[in-house]
Amino acid sequence: MKILGLALIIVGWLIPVLALAFTSSNSARLILSLVGIGVTLVGILGVLNKAHLEHAIWKR
Amino acid sequence: MPHCRVLTCFLLASLLILSSCGITAWCQTPPSSVASNQTGPAPNPAAAPSLTAPLPVKDANPPSADDLAKGDPGGTLTGTIADVSVSDAKKGLTLGDAINQIGQNKVAINFVWTLVAGFLVMFMQAGFATVETGLCRAKNANHTMMMNFMVYGFGLFAYWVCGFAFQMGGVGATANLGGTAPLSSEFAVNLLGKSWGIFGTRGFFLTQAGTYDVGVMVLFLFQMVFMDTATTIVTGAAAERWKFAAFAISTFFLGAITYPLFGNWAWGGGWLSQLGANFGLGHGYCDFAGSGVVHAVGGLTALAVSMIIGPRLGKYNRDGSSNAMPGHDIMIVLVGCFILAFGWFGFNPGSTLGASGNGALRIGSIAVNTMLAGCTGSFGAILYMWIRYGKPDASMSGNGLLAGLVAITAPSGFVNSISAAIIGLIAGVLVCLSVEFFDRVAKVDDPVGAISVHGINGIWGVISVGLFADGKSNYGGSWNGVTGSVTGLFYGDPGQLVAQLIGVATLLGFVFGVSFVFNWLVHVVVGQRVSPQSELEGLDVPEMGALGYPEFVLKAYRA
Repeated sequence: MKILGLALIIVGWLIPVLALAFTSSNSARLILSLVGIGVTLVGILGVLNKAHLEHAIWKR
Repeated sequence: MPHCRVLTCFLLASLLILSSCGITAWCQTPPSSVASNQTGPAPNPAAAPSLTAPLPVKDANPPSADDLAKGDPGGTLTGTIADVSVSDAKKGLTLGDAINQIGQNKVAINFVWTLVAGFLVMFMQAGFATVETGLCRAKNANHTMMMNFMVYGFGLFAYWVCGFAFQMGGVGATANLGGTAPLSSEFAVNLLGKSWGIFGTRGFFLTQAGTYDVGVMVLFLFQMVFMDTATTIVTGAAAERWKFAAFAISTFFLGAITYPLFGNWAWGGGWLSQLGANFGLGHGYCDFAGSGVVHAVGGLTALAVSMIIGPRLGKYNRDGSSNAMPGHDIMIVLVGCFILAFGWFGFNPGSTLGASGNGALRIGSIAVNTMLAGCTGSFGAILYMWIRYGKPDASMSGNGLLAGLVAITAPSGFVNSISAAIIGLIAGVLVCLSVEFFDRVAKVDDPVGAISVHGINGIWGVISVGLFADGKSNYGGSWNGVTGSVTGLFYGDPGQLVAQLIGVATLLGFVFGVSFVFNWLVHVVVGQRVSPQSELEGLDVPEMGALGYPEFVLKAYRA
C-alpha cells in the first residue's frame, strides 16, 4: 500500500509536468494540473495515510 | 592624598587641553582634496564629460572647518561632498568617483536592508520556539525548546556545507545586491526540448569558485534564515514524541537537500521559475517570499514525519475519536505569535533584497499587505471558532494570525491591499477547517497545527498568486526573465495560475515524496519515535536529561 501511495504521488506530480509537452492550451494544462494535484492528494491521504492508520498505535 | 588628587586633576586637565588642541588642529587641516579642488579650472562645458577628469564643483559649499568644530546638533553639516571617496587624492573628485559613490550607496542601502530583514527573520526562531513549547505539555517543554534551539545550528551547518550551493549556486547576478556573479553555474538537463535547471553547483562552504564575496554573503544570510524557518516547522508537528537523534538527521537532510532543491527550482533559476520563459505560463512559478518554498516545504515535511511517527499516546481512543491535549502556556504562545508577526516584516518586505532600485520601494505596500493579511487571518479564525464553538479560541486565533501571514507570503509582492485582506481572511478560516480535518478525519496528530498553518496555507498562498496578482508590480521590468508584471487569473492571465498549480503539484509530489522516503529510512534505521515509557514520563528527562520546569513538576506531584 505504501509503495502504491508513493507511486500515485509521483504520477500526480508528473501529470501536469508532462502536460507541458503534450498541449499548449492553458485550459488543458489547468485541468491536468488539477487532476495531478487530485491524484497526489489521493496518494498521500487516501492511500499512504490509510496504510499507516491500519497499524496505528491507538488500535493496538 | 590631597596632593595625589591635585596631581590627578592637573594631569586630566592637561590631557583635556592637549586633546582639544589636537582636535582643533585636526579640524583646521585642509579638508580633503575633494574640497581643495573646487577652485580648480573648469573643463570646457562643450566637451564630453570625462569620468576621470576633476569635477568643477562650485555649489556644494561644504561646511568650513570652523563650522564643523562647533559640532552639528541639527544634522545639517554632516554628510557632504567631503565624505565622497576619491580614487586619486591628487586629482580630486571626478565624475567617475561621484557615480561610483552613488552605486555603492545604492548597494549599501540594499545590503543593510537585506541584512536587517534577515536578522528579523532569524528572531522568528524565538517565536517558533515559544509557540511550539507553549502548545506542548509541560513535561516536554525542555525537549520541544531544545529542538527549536538546535534546528538553527543543524540547519545552518547543512546549508553552509551544500544547501546554499544547491539552491542559489546558479542564480547569477542579483542586481539589488550589486554582485553575486560567482553564483553562475546551474546543473540542467534537456527535456521536452527545453533546458530544466535542477540544482546549482557554486558556493559550497562559501569559498568555492569565487563565492567569498560580499554580495554572496548577504544573500547567504538571508536565504539561510528562510531555510531555518522551514526546518523549524517540522519540530512542532512532531513534538512530544520525536527522538532527538532522528530529529537531527531529518533536519540536516531538509536543510541540505529537500529545501535547497525546491528553492532552486523556484528562486535559484531552476525549471519552475522558467515555466514562463519556456512554456509561456505567465511569469513562471512565482513565490515572492516563500509560501511554497519555505512554509509548504516545511508543512509537507511535517506531514510526512507526523504520518510516520504516528499520534501521541492518548490522542486517540480505540474508536478513533480524538482527545484534546491542551498546551501548558497560552501566554507564551501568543507572545510567540507576536514575535513571528514582527519577524514577518523581515520575511516579506526583505524579499525585495533591497530598498533602492528595481521597484524595491514597493516594500511599503508589501509590509502593509503582510500586516493586513495577518489581521484578517486572525479575524477569520476567531469568527469561525466563535460561531462553531461559542468561544474565540486563543490558540486558534494565534494560528489564524500565522495562517494569514503564511498565505500572504507568496503574493505579498504582487497584490493590492484588498486582495491581501481577502487572502488572509480565507486563510484564517482554512486553518480551522484544516486542523479539524487532520485531527478528526485523517487522524494525523499535529500538536501545534503546523501542517495546517504552514502546509495547507502555504499551498493556498501559492495558488492565490495565480488568482490575485494585479499586474501593478514592477521589479526592474521583468520577473523570472519574462517582461512585464505578474498578473493572476482575476486580472487576465490564466497561464500564471497554471504555473502556480504546477508548483503545488511539485510540492505535493516531489517535496512530500522525498521527505517521506527519507524519513521512512530514518525510521527503519534509527527509529523516529521515543519509547512509550519515555513518552508517558515526558521527554525532558529521557531525551534531554533535565526537566524544563523542575519545581513546577515537583509541586504538581505534591498536589
